[in-house]
Amino acid sequence: MALQFEITNDIRKLRFFADEMTQQQLAEKAGVSRQTIVAVEGGKYNPSLELAFRIAHAFNVPIDEVFHYTVTEKKNRKDKKGDRT
Amino acid sequence: MTYQIARTLTRVLSGTVLLIIYLVQVTSKYQEGGLAMDQLQSLGQLMLVFIGIGIGVTIAVEIVFHILYSIGIAVKESVKADVCNDKDKEREIEKNIEKNIKQEFVEDEMAKLIDLKSSRVGYVTSGIGFLCSLIVLALGYPVFIVLNILFVSFFIAGMMESFARIFYYKRGI
Repeated sequence: MALQFEITNDIRKLRFFADEMTQQQLAEKAGVSRQTIVAVEGGKYNPSLELAFRIAHAFNVPIDEVFHYTVTEKKNRKDKKGDRT
Repeated sequence: MTYQIARTLTRVLSGTVLLIIYLVQVTSKYQEGGLAMDQLQSLGQLMLVFIGIGIGVTIAVEIVFHILYSIGIAVKESVKADVCNDKDKEREIEKNIEKNIKQEFVEDEMAKLIDLKSSRVGYVTSGIGFLCSLIVLALGYPVFIVLNILFVSFFIAGMMESFARIFYYKRGI
């Protein structure tokens, strides 16, 4: 079994609790374009540590409340075949 | 459509137009007899002229695009906010417009990373073009064709870079 790493985030939820902050407003606070915020929120782009801290700072929360690092076990083909038999 | 994608598309469009004009010029001059296979001086001159035109057109297109895009943002903002006679509100709208324009033109870390990745695609494409031109040369074709393949491959590399940029912006990194 191979390990699969994934970085997820709660930006959407945090924006909702921050008085429905818009992506544009968050982008301004973090000093990036709205497009980058859209990509980060959608999991299409993993930000640098600096940007991650800036986003967390924009919400006034620690970084681990915004981003989560999850490790899951990814079944490879051989394992899947083994399961079937 | 976002600023980056719109900008890239305009670059692709201007690049395509330039490439077509160059190809038309070369073929028409060749058919007229202005370009001979063994006389590379006139081809070199034509290529230099097109490089100059290419730089000029790119700069002009960038300027026009930025002006038009800024106007687009300003119009959107003014439509969003109702037209009024209040001067304070007008100033606020103007500030908002300026802020939005600045925000749209921000070059952040994601843009830089996409630039790096897409330029790699461009380098690989131009490398393949160079290899193709060497193969053509090894097969015994005239230098005229080799130079043209090289020149066209640089154009195509630029376009591939732009397509890669759009792809990365759409799909993410």
